[in-house]
Amino acid sequence: MKHLTEEELIAQAIGERQGEGADAVEEHLAACEECADSYLVLLSDLAAMKPVTPPDRDEWYGERVWQSIAPSLAAYRARNRGWRRGWRRGWLTGGVWKGLGYAAACALLVVGAFFAGRQWEHSKQRQPTARVEQKVPQTKQPIVVVVLDDHLDRSERFLVELKHADLDSSAMASPIRDEARSLLAANKVCREKAAQKSDPELTTALDHLDRLLAEAANEPGGLNAASIAKLQDEMNSDGLLFEVRVLRARIASRKVAGNGPVKGGTI
Amino acid sequence: MFRMGISDHEAVRAVLDGDKEAYGALVVRHSHSLFRVAFRITGNEADADDVVQEAFLRGYRKLGTFELRANFSTWIYRIAVRCALDKLKASRVDESPRVAEETDPELDQVQVPDSAASPERLLLSGEIGAMQEAAMRGLSPTERTAFVLRHVENCSSEEIAAALGIAPNAAKQTVFRAVHKLRRRLSALRVSI
Repeated sequence: MKHLTEEELIAQAIGERQGEGADAVEEHLAACEECADSYLVLLSDLAAMKPVTPPDRDEWYGERVWQSIAPSLAAYRARNRGWRRGWRRGWLTGGVWKGLGYAAACALLVVGAFFAGRQWEHSKQRQPTARVEQKVPQTKQPIVVVVLDDHLDRSERFLVELKHADLDSSAMASPIRDEARSLLAANKVCREKAAQKSDPELTTALDHLDRLLAEAANEPGGLNAASIAKLQDEMNSDGLLFEVRVLRARIASRKVAGNGPVKGGTI
Repeated sequence: MFRMGISDHEAVRAVLDGDKEAYGALVVRHSHSLFRVAFRITGNEADADDVVQEAFLRGYRKLGTFELRANFSTWIYRIAVRCALDKLKASRVDESPRVAEETDPELDQVQVPDSAASPERLLLSGEIGAMQEAAMRGLSPTERTAFVLRHVENCSSEEIAAALGIAPNAAKQTVFRAVHKLRRRLSALRVSI
């Protein structure tokens, strides 16, 4: 019979072996008296190395530690001001000439933009006014309608993804956050338009959506299983996915009733 | 007074937003657990107190790198382990070696006096703790720390590896080597008593 090595016995004693490996060692120890004796001596040695209990520290210990280190700590500056500080530092350490160079570049940009704007104004004035008045209502409305329809379509897909997000997988957290950030800006435009058109149903749904998107996009430290679960709860309690689907259906029905190849809804 | 009601993560956010006092809540909350692990590794009360202070100082300076997904207690625990290890290494350096009674040039060995208590003293004192400490002195700082984390703190090889900044397999081998050395040391001490 091949005896167990000291390393194998140590691994067993400190719980390094798991599952079948541990069972095999146990079986061997049950069958081999010599190894069992060695194992008992090892356990006895380890038991002899059990530590001395640390001396007690009273309930004020933590405060004493804090009092001893607090004077040597400088307060952090608020995080959102960090970039300004760095920018200012860079400006100052870069030297006067570098600063003047930036100033000249900015001035050149402003002057260029001014002349470009004047040229554009002149070209617009040359167009007949009546034609512009005819074109604006025809071209402007379809663009906004398409944005709303697309936005609701994307929002619905986002909500479905969020609803079925795997909480055990961290791979989904980043795409969800990125999509939420992307949708947030579009949602703002749609909300403003809905408010102007006095469409309370649409405004309410977009408000709900805005809150959810803002939370998903700005969760400190990024999304994790807990925050995704919270978002799912909020989404379900608001009935948001249902609301978005109803709005899409409403837009689709108006599209069918309409008289042109308009893709979207009412805005 | 400290805002003890706030969570660790809230306190970290407050500190990073400029509220230094919020760190006091973290210090008060975690000082006892850090002291326990520091004492187990250093085996010395005064050193353990130093380690606790140093760990919180280092933690404060590194707080900007703390990820809010992580657990603050685990994070500061690892820093304390590193501080304790540094303390052990520093005290090893402080112990100036003396001239050995005899050397073995063939084995390229220089014998130095054993800093542990003599067997006679152990016999006189009769303290198991003294024998333990004598055995532990035979370990390197890394071996001692790894052994304490495994045997006393019940850390996994991965946790030990993370705390010591080494690979998990290296952590496992360090624990094995520590146990092996301790057994030989204990055996020698028992025979001489």
